[in-house]
Amino acid sequence: MPDIVLDSISRTYGGSVKAVHDLTLTVPDGSFTTLLGPSGCGKTTTLRMIAGLDMPTSGTIYIGDQLAFSLERGRSLPPAKRNLGLVFQSYALWPHLTVAKNITFGLEVQRVDKIETARRLEEVATALQIDNLLSRYTSELSGGQQQRVAIARVLVMRPATLLLDEPLSNLDATLRMDMRVELKRLHKETGATIIYVTHDQLEALTMSTHIALMQSGELQQFAPPLEIYARPANKLAAEFLGNPRINLLDGVIASGCVVCEGLQLTLSPEIAVTEGEKITVGLRAEELRLHPTSSPSWAEAHVTTALPTGSDWYYHIKMNSKTLIVRQNDTPNLQPGDVVYVEAIPNTLKLFDSNGCALIVSSA
Amino acid sequence: MRTIYNRFRIGLTPQRVLSVVFLIALGYLVIFPLFLMAKETFIVHPLERFQIPGSTIGDLTLSHWIRSFVSENSFTFFYRPLLNTLQIAFGLSILALLIGGTLAWLVVRTDIPMKNVITNAAIIPYIMPSWTLALAWIALFKNERIGGDQGIFTALTGISTPDWFAYGLFPITITLALHYFPFGFMLIGGALRNIDAQLEESAELLGASRVATLRRIVIPLVLPAIFSTFLLTFSRGLGTFGTPAFLGGPVREFVLSTSLYANLIGGRPGIGYLAALAMIVLGVLVLYMDHKIIGTRRSYVTISGKGARAGLVALGRWRWPIASILMGSILAVIVVPLGALAIDTFMLRPGLYSWENFTWHYWVGEASLSVGLGTGEPGILRNPELMSALGNTMKLAVVVALITGILGVLVGYAIVRMRGSWVSQALDQLSFLPYLMPSIALGAIFLAMFAVPRWPFPSLHGTFTLLVIACVVSYLPYAVKAGVSAIRQIGPELEEAAIMTGASWWTRMYRVIIPIQKSTYFSGLLLPFISVTRELSLLILLVTPTAQLATTITLRYTDRGWYPYTNGMVLLLVVIVVTCTIMSRRLMGTNIAKGLGG
Repeated sequence: MPDIVLDSISRTYGGSVKAVHDLTLTVPDGSFTTLLGPSGCGKTTTLRMIAGLDMPTSGTIYIGDQLAFSLERGRSLPPAKRNLGLVFQSYALWPHLTVAKNITFGLEVQRVDKIETARRLEEVATALQIDNLLSRYTSELSGGQQQRVAIARVLVMRPATLLLDEPLSNLDATLRMDMRVELKRLHKETGATIIYVTHDQLEALTMSTHIALMQSGELQQFAPPLEIYARPANKLAAEFLGNPRINLLDGVIASGCVVCEGLQLTLSPEIAVTEGEKITVGLRAEELRLHPTSSPSWAEAHVTTALPTGSDWYYHIKMNSKTLIVRQNDTPNLQPGDVVYVEAIPNTLKLFDSNGCALIVSSA
Repeated sequence: MRTIYNRFRIGLTPQRVLSVVFLIALGYLVIFPLFLMAKETFIVHPLERFQIPGSTIGDLTLSHWIRSFVSENSFTFFYRPLLNTLQIAFGLSILALLIGGTLAWLVVRTDIPMKNVITNAAIIPYIMPSWTLALAWIALFKNERIGGDQGIFTALTGISTPDWFAYGLFPITITLALHYFPFGFMLIGGALRNIDAQLEESAELLGASRVATLRRIVIPLVLPAIFSTFLLTFSRGLGTFGTPAFLGGPVREFVLSTSLYANLIGGRPGIGYLAALAMIVLGVLVLYMDHKIIGTRRSYVTISGKGARAGLVALGRWRWPIASILMGSILAVIVVPLGALAIDTFMLRPGLYSWENFTWHYWVGEASLSVGLGTGEPGILRNPELMSALGNTMKLAVVVALITGILGVLVGYAIVRMRGSWVSQALDQLSFLPYLMPSIALGAIFLAMFAVPRWPFPSLHGTFTLLVIACVVSYLPYAVKAGVSAIRQIGPELEEAAIMTGASWWTRMYRVIIPIQKSTYFSGLLLPFISVTRELSLLILLVTPTAQLATTITLRYTDRGWYPYTNGMVLLLVVIVVTCTIMSRRLMGTNIAKGLGG
């Protein structure tokens, strides 16, 4: 099975609104690739262009060795010929058909014979545990059940690629957790490539093998989730991934160190920076430690809010005028107003130049 | 160049193809005739050349405009019909609003009993042909000065009705108001139903009395619906033909529509078409006012799922008396007229109401020149002319309902799927345009357009096809409106899910789009069916003596004073229409009320 290649895809609406701009991306075969970004970033448009429901204004799409779209060569492969299945955000189940008819609709359209149809129906229904719902109408199902039917309807066609458009956004929190596990299992069992659209970074982090981070129609970074988390390509990527949001501090390079608001970080010599350069440092909540006593490279701060979650404490602290969020799992219970000393112990150094681009791309 | 061609070829989606086809067709059938009609007002027609010295047929002339607007005959030709029209439209709108609004308030906001019965009964006057009440009025109140016989009222009481009461503006206004008040009932009722109870509860918590709440909160909130009703009935009043023809004819009191008709058949098409133009201009003005006055405010009747229905106003010991009066009045509006019509068909000698005079003659009698009216016409049920007219009506109704229904879905589909593009807007507005044209004006347009061969059609004068075209264009606004709202409720992803499986456009339509909204589309078929069955004004100019319809032949019989036949035909139509409505509600759960309103 094939990679899906998007080659400088753009999609413009009404001549001026750029939904997607010059997007180049190779979705590896068998991967669970998530298109992640805030709403309006072009991720759903991208998915629809891969599906063939929308057409790029320019660019080329390959699905495996097949040319799926090229304006220059006058080619637009119909959606059904692209060997992929799409699960819609709203599920798009047909209300006038039973669950069974919803699932077998595509097989009927493709004139698959009755015996084979019945066999495949049973197969997906068993796999998704909806075999007891087959004679119901979709309005009689819960959200989670509708979700399964929508997936079954797609799986029954045995697509090489599964496209999922924010499929969990209509489910409640518990169900969402269960479905995440289930989708991951599905990915493993079917071996299909999955392209998954979401604005929920937690979904992206927990499920994907690759994340394509998008913003304003442009690709910001394409990498495995933990890679993006540890080494964001720019400030946008750093801010979008991770909960709570990353702390960004303005600093300056001074004698092989970064100094920001009294906080000092040592730089390894191989990092190319010039003395006096203004930069931004990204520090995640777990990369900061609070101490009761001071030390030269630590900065003084005071606690403004304490948010215990049971396993951890989240502290909002004020360091000069800047508010930072810190996660601690072993400090004694601090109270608002307590004075603390902040130490930075980054797992990976995340430095950004004045344009917001990462200074250190990779240490690996 | 190649890319442009490719973009065109790849982008050739069904909705795009449909939109372009419909744009062209509608342009041809809606815009072009308008120009044509405007042109007719500047041209000398065969009989007109005698009135315009030195002219030959086909010359350009301003004389129609001069005669209509600034000559000594202008008052007769134009201003008096115009004033009559406005007066009737205004009067009937106020009346319809009062009756419908009061009824709506009683049913929605009080604890009046028998709500369901009242609601259902209140719609019946609208389902009946609008001029049923006009004919019934004649049967009840006609006087001996005109037509020779007395009406039932005079026969029972011995009081001879004055002319102003029996004919002319007064009865026209009353009977039309009784026909159109269901609009007010439904629109205002709908608005009242949608008011969030919390809005009223807040007012009451602040110490407002029931009356103050009604006056300061409820009425302002339904004000948009009140305006809507007013303008809707007003515009209907402008275009109505049957009632003023029946009730105004005997005293030669014209409105624009009847003046248009009289001028067209009287060999003065120039002046006739001017009246039609005037009606269209008035229609546009009304719509413009609707936009100006209501426009954005239409939306402020808040729809909220929350909050229980506010406590109903307790009518106390007035509960049953009021309900009885209501039921009585509604029944009176339905039963008395129909009864009067029925009685008339059983009276051998008109105007003589006694058992000895009872006869089946007008229903099943043999043709005779000596019995009864001595018309030489066989009874209605064995009258080949009447029965074939009825057959034509049914055939036309079925054909038009099917075509309009299908077009409504397809045009609606094109409009919704092309949303955001100029094509969608153009289609939307073009398909709405016939709504602004009073139907008799629309009939006049098509008469002007198709009297001669016009590519790709041969001359369609007097053909069934022409009737179909006129009806389809006339009912298109309703069908498209229904189609748009039906398709809009089907999210595009329901269709896209089918595209993903490889279903062709045709498969998607008949396996997904149409079945999902089955009952809506069926309602969409019902409305044009019923409308055709009782249509008079649109078709009166288009039918020829050889192929009559039930309604047009009724008017012809009225002209000859053969009321028992006319009344019998109207009764048949009412029975057909009401039966169809009830049956479709039983079978398909359709609701005629959904298709109404504007």
